[in-house]
Amino acid sequence: MNRPNPSSRSADRERADRIYYTLAALLGGAVILYFAVVPFVGANLAFHFYLMLWITMASGFNVSSGFSGYMPFGYVAFYGVGAFTTAILVKKLGFPVLLALPFSGLAGLVLALLFAPTLRLSGIYFAIVSLALAYICRLVITNMPEEMTGGSFGIQLGSQAEPVLSFYVMMATMMLALGTILWLSRSRLGKALRAVRDDAEAADMMGVNITRVRLYGWLIAAFFPAVCGGVEAWYTNIVDTETAFNTLITAKTVIYAIAGGLGTVSGPIVGALVMVWLDELIWRQFPLLNLLILGLATVLLVLFLPRGIVGTLLRWRPAWRRYVP
Amino acid sequence: MNAALEARDLIKRFGGLVALDGVQFAAAEGEVLGIIGVNGAGKTTLMNCLCGLYQPDEGEIRLAGEDVTGRTPHEIAARGVGRTFQVPRVFRRMSLIDNLLVPVLRRRATDRALIDQAETMLERMRLIDLRHNFAEELSGGQQKLLEMARMLMPDPRVVMLDEPFAGVHPTLCRFMIEQIEAMAAERKTVLLISHDLTSIYRLSHRVLALNQGRVIAEGGVEAIRGNPAVIEAYLGA
Ligand SMILES: Nc1ncnc2c1ncn2[C@@H]1O[C@H](COP(=O)(O)OP(=O)(O)O)[C@@H](O)[C@H]1O
Ligand SMILES: [Mg+2]
Repeated sequence: MNRPNPSSRSADRERADRIYYTLAALLGGAVILYFAVVPFVGANLAFHFYLMLWITMASGFNVSSGFSGYMPFGYVAFYGVGAFTTAILVKKLGFPVLLALPFSGLAGLVLALLFAPTLRLSGIYFAIVSLALAYICRLVITNMPEEMTGGSFGIQLGSQAEPVLSFYVMMATMMLALGTILWLSRSRLGKALRAVRDDAEAADMMGVNITRVRLYGWLIAAFFPAVCGGVEAWYTNIVDTETAFNTLITAKTVIYAIAGGLGTVSGPIVGALVMVWLDELIWRQFPLLNLLILGLATVLLVLFLPRGIVGTLLRWRPAWRRYVP
Repeated sequence: MNAALEARDLIKRFGGLVALDGVQFAAAEGEVLGIIGVNGAGKTTLMNCLCGLYQPDEGEIRLAGEDVTGRTPHEIAARGVGRTFQVPRVFRRMSLIDNLLVPVLRRRATDRALIDQAETMLERMRLIDLRHNFAEELSGGQQKLLEMARMLMPDPRVVMLDEPFAGVHPTLCRFMIEQIEAMAAERKTVLLISHDLTSIYRLSHRVLALNQGRVIAEGGVEAIRGNPAVIEAYLGA
């Protein structure tokens, strides 16, 4: 396979790219088809809505941890702020929902800019500060005037619920996230991010503007959970600080992303699919022990497949890295 | 004419320790400047200051006449400075090709042209068969070659090699010596750090001897070889 001749090398490269993009198209097509028919065949709308939400959340988290090397334990902050942005714009300012959602994304970007100085920290320090900032966001919103945030009762979006439409908007958000990450994984920004993840100082000495590159990655990672928060607020028709800033949202996002494998496009999709289904099956069988068993499954997964499902597959078959999105 | 690289009165302190204590030198285009000194003499610290990783506490660094003191590492890299590391620092979870692309990400050339260039470079460094592997899957010696290839990708004017022969087997050593000679032939300025004198004496046009952060001798290979201060620093250590 390793032919020395340059022209056969470039033919080999083109073949690998073709396989890569064909697989990406097949995977994307299968995902679209699967979710698009859900409302028509009468499958469980809520289950699949949340499945898409988790795929999107895990994919966004992947940009931060898999590409950039940051573990934001307070990832839920973007989600919560996005949820409240849509809720407040719709309920208090009378925005149409579809106009409010982009502002949720914008709110995520603004919050990411505010948190950008924490990108100087690394490893566990970054993770802990991120957790603390999420808590602060929650406190700030909890202590805002009740007329605005609805206090402990939260905000009812009122007559705005449109389950099927919001289902498809969630689907569009997911496709946008997957498309962005597919682009990122092949882009120069993606290579710069991975270099910074592996050795920031060395990347700097190789001419990479590490501060700027990290900021770009951080903005991408913040945008999608914020939109997810907005769409979920619309779907459930209610937002309160207890659920919108629940640490379990970060925990699930992290688990799903790691289960699938960080750093690839397909990893978080596979991870969310497998784990959400597993969660559902366990919950049906053992409604009381479901969290315990899920926790155990996670521990086993991390112990035996530390690089996640896709990551382990690619470690076992390194040659496939070129083909698997 | 301006020197390709010039350091004036560099001082670098780590707390109470003075790692560089007024280091001064100039290197011309196409010159191989060897930097010798026992462990802890300050060789790596000097290199880290020159490439912007450390900010010197005092002194000045000039590249082709331009004052670059206080610039960030990527700004200095953009001015044509490349380096390798004493302990290889490759991008572990990236393919060899992607490793080589990192220093040229901001070039205008198409991705395709850059990948072609990366493959040519890997061929030159005898790593072409491993081009799709992750860098972490290479042996130590191969990682040193990968670093050299990565350093050469943007065609830098000044290259700095930190202990390129440390822990490298003799065949590979010979190959690396040829590569360094080729760099000088391309009119690059080469800073070659080593505590091993044989290879330095063979390659260098001029040698700078450091001890405890000070330049204790400077000159041609013959002069350095017989210099009493150098002999004492090495034997007395
Ligand atoms: N980042 C650092 N922090 C503190 N001390 C350092 C640091 N880097 C180097 N030193 C100290 O500076 C001195 C010179 O080190 P170094 O430049 O690595 O020597 P060499 O490369 O010549 O072996 C040593 O005493 C070393 O302990
Ligand atoms: Mg050293």
